Amino acid sequence: MTDTLAAAPVLVAEGLVKHFEGVAAVNGLSLTVHAGEVLGLLGPNGAGKTTTLRMLAGILPPTAGRVTLNGVDIRERPLEAKARIGFLSGDTQLYQRLTPREVLAYFGRLYSMDEARLAARIEALVHDLEMASFAGRPCATLSAGQKQRANIARAFLHEPDLLILDEPTTALDVLSGRFIVEAIRGRRAAGKAILFSTHIMSEAEYLCDRITLLHEGRAVDTGTLAELLLHTGAANLTDAFLHHVEKSRGEAAS
Amino acid sequence: MRLIIVWVILRKELTETLRDRRTLMRLLLIPVLLYPLFAIAVSKLQSSDAEARADKASHVAVWGELPAALKTKLEASGKLQLLPWEGAPASVKSAVEAGSITPAVPPPEVPLDEKTLEKGSKTKIALDWTEPENPVLDAARALIEKRAVDAVLVPWPGLVASLDRGAEGPISIYFDSVRADSSLARERLGDSLDRARKDLLLERETTRGLPRGFTRAVSILPRNVAPPSRRIGQILGSMMPMMLIMMSLLGGFLPAVDLTAGEKERGTMQTLLCAPLRPIEIITGKFLAVFAISLLTALANVVSMSFTLGRILPGEGPVSPSIYVLTFALLIPVSFLFSALFLALAVFARDFKDGQNVLMPVYLPITLLTGLTALPGIELDAWTAFAPILNIALLIKALFLGEARADLVLLALGSSALYAALALLLAARVFEREHVLLGGKDTIKALFGLSRRSGGEPSAAFSITAFGTVFVLFFYGSLLLERFGPVTSLLLTQYGFFLAPAAGIVVLFGFSSRETLALRLPSPRGALAAIVLGLSAWAVAIGLLLRLVPVPESIARGLGDLLLLGGKPFILVFLVFAVTPAICEELLFRGLLFSGLRKLGPAAAVVISALLFGLAHASVYRLLPTAFLGGVIGLTRLRTRSILPGMIIHALNNGLALALLYYSPPWAGDLLARGTLPWGLTLGGCAVFAVGLALLPRKQAEAITPAGRATAP
Repeated sequence: MTDTLAAAPVLVAEGLVKHFEGVAAVNGLSLTVHAGEVLGLLGPNGAGKTTTLRMLAGILPPTAGRVTLNGVDIRERPLEAKARIGFLSGDTQLYQRLTPREVLAYFGRLYSMDEARLAARIEALVHDLEMASFAGRPCATLSAGQKQRANIARAFLHEPDLLILDEPTTALDVLSGRFIVEAIRGRRAAGKAILFSTHIMSEAEYLCDRITLLHEGRAVDTGTLAELLLHTGAANLTDAFLHHVEKSRGEAAS
Repeated sequence: MRLIIVWVILRKELTETLRDRRTLMRLLLIPVLLYPLFAIAVSKLQSSDAEARADKASHVAVWGELPAALKTKLEASGKLQLLPWEGAPASVKSAVEAGSITPAVPPPEVPLDEKTLEKGSKTKIALDWTEPENPVLDAARALIEKRAVDAVLVPWPGLVASLDRGAEGPISIYFDSVRADSSLARERLGDSLDRARKDLLLERETTRGLPRGFTRAVSILPRNVAPPSRRIGQILGSMMPMMLIMMSLLGGFLPAVDLTAGEKERGTMQTLLCAPLRPIEIITGKFLAVFAISLLTALANVVSMSFTLGRILPGEGPVSPSIYVLTFALLIPVSFLFSALFLALAVFARDFKDGQNVLMPVYLPITLLTGLTALPGIELDAWTAFAPILNIALLIKALFLGEARADLVLLALGSSALYAALALLLAARVFEREHVLLGGKDTIKALFGLSRRSGGEPSAAFSITAFGTVFVLFFYGSLLLERFGPVTSLLLTQYGFFLAPAAGIVVLFGFSSRETLALRLPSPRGALAAIVLGLSAWAVAIGLLLRLVPVPESIARGLGDLLLLGGKPFILVFLVFAVTPAICEELLFRGLLFSGLRKLGPAAAVVISALLFGLAHASVYRLLPTAFLGGVIGLTRLRTRSILPGMIIHALNNGLALALLYYSPPWAGDLLARGTLPWGLTLGGCAVFAVGLALLPRKQAEAITPAGRATAP
């Protein structure tokens, strides 16, 4: 664990703020993700997870704050930074009338991959993610689990340094969810930095090296699972999280 | 913008859209079925309607006593059922019988409008003169409106006696020109009465021993001279623009929603935004896809229409294939405009359904605008040539009627291109605002960038939008100002529509006026170059360019007469036609417009501002010389970093032409009469011009000051 922290930070976010029509959805969030590390972003619905991840992926400009990827500022040089990010969200669909292979080829070209490398990557992903049986069928005919495999192949395709995964297992059955989680662990083993948001505590416990607890747009605590439990004296992650929620309620009331 | 990325997006969008069976149905099947069905329905309806009417006798109320011979003649046709005193109120009956109401007779100097009567026009009221209100007219109108009868015939008292005497007697026919049955009754009555009158005249000639034709003196033989192709053109011209435009737009409508709101709904828009792409690449790819599908639909419609017309109208004066080609060509700017507009607006929708709601308010005005072309009397003129959609619809109509005029075609196409560019800019601007693409809301103010800047220069999009707005206002403003005479209207348009908006926009939006309008003194060398260029540019323009496109003599002379102001002092002519445009036009074209365009690169700024300058003069013949002059001035602003040398060139160029016209020196006789310049003078002028170009400062173009960030978030 300590040697991953010593590795160079891939993603650095400092003082992120996002206001929507004057209301703060994210309020002064800073975080760092290192190579070979999975950072979990944990919080209830409406905590600001999706807004944060969108800012980190460079698709939503922050009201204040700065995001760098391998030292490249994402607002100043967006194309360079975005080329190193793979993004996947749980509610993402695919192009209904294209096949998974066509979707992968389309995105490969958008990421300016050369054709030979692209073809090889598609074959490798189809094999690794066990997509051969459905890779040639229109996406409209695929099951939810098959679709999410095609989606995660799309996120892995250009071998990004950072994977941003926004609740990637939502709406999947246990088996499909576990398949995706294992695929993510595979990327960590390959030395990629991974930012993973979820509201499923068990998934976070299993997968994440470090966890940031997000509540009302702020990071209320960050650390390894053991550290979080130690800070709060709770027996599990759910209790640790509830402890912080109660604490912030108490602060707001006093 | 990377074209390879645009191509990748375009190809994917087309593949996906064309795999949808519903799209293919819309694209091909509907036009293939629509036009034949429409043609069959129209011809069936028209013929069956006319047949039914021809079989039916007209019901005519006769309020008065008809001479027996006349009555026999009217009834002989079998199509006129005469109903004595039908529906006549007692008061009217007694008044007519007693002779207390006399027929209202039109004043002799306003005769019946024979032409409209002959055509039996159903939409126009056949008489210039309208009968003053009277009880008989009121009663007849009420009866016809109730559809109790088709027409009312009033043989006024004394008719029988007058005819027996060999004198003239009046008969009134009351009918409703808008009702087809009533018009038919009037035609039948008119024909029968006409025949009866001819027989009566013949009888009188015979009984009095007069030569035949004595009473008629002149026989008028009206003949419709409209060639058959023109008559078909009239029908097609009024219906087809509407159908073609509506169908082409329908082709782009659903893809536009699908590629924006639909993609947002499915969450794939977010994935696309995560890719290392510039928003302009995404919008261009999607726009081209929508545009291509819209064009394919247009093509399918034009082809289907041409086949249909070839089948149902064989031998009836065929429509030339070139007309169809041109019609398709005219649909290109319309499709372009609406592909861009639909895309820009559909982005605001959250999902597919919402997208259709957002676009409906745009679709309805188009329906109305294109529907206007079906109305008689709405034709392409200076006013309508600038109205989006309507101008192209009218141009297609004019094409079918064979009466499209070159200058109006230029105006219509030019303005359509302008609107299309503005719509695309709007779409590009919407796509720059990423949170709109993710489903967020945006204010119109933020979208159009209407908040104040602090210093700096406008962007290219801002300049082009501002210029487009100013130009459309100028166009309609100058039409309104025409009534004040040439000089007043010129001064008002120059100061009111060029200078004031250009300066106003810069001040109002808080740009740096010094940078945007290049308000600084040029170097002495720059000023000298401007003088040399200003004195020689006309020689290049006339000597070289006008040889390519000679100006018709009538136009040249008309312009010359206008410019001389009927012999006012030269200094006045110079101030009005040389100095004023030099100041006002330069501030707009080489000031506001130019500084925004520089963001696209120096060459683009010179070329685009020159082209717009040429097009703004709205004349095919002046396009080349004015664009050339605009290019020279643009280059000068770039090199001297000042607007003043351009004003000097502009004023000198106009001033020289004016001086030649004003003083008409003998050596310039040929030039003024035929607009040709001897080769010697041309080459000399070109040499001086080259010196002027060489004199322009060499140093690199002025640096662009970026606009300050908007002060409002």
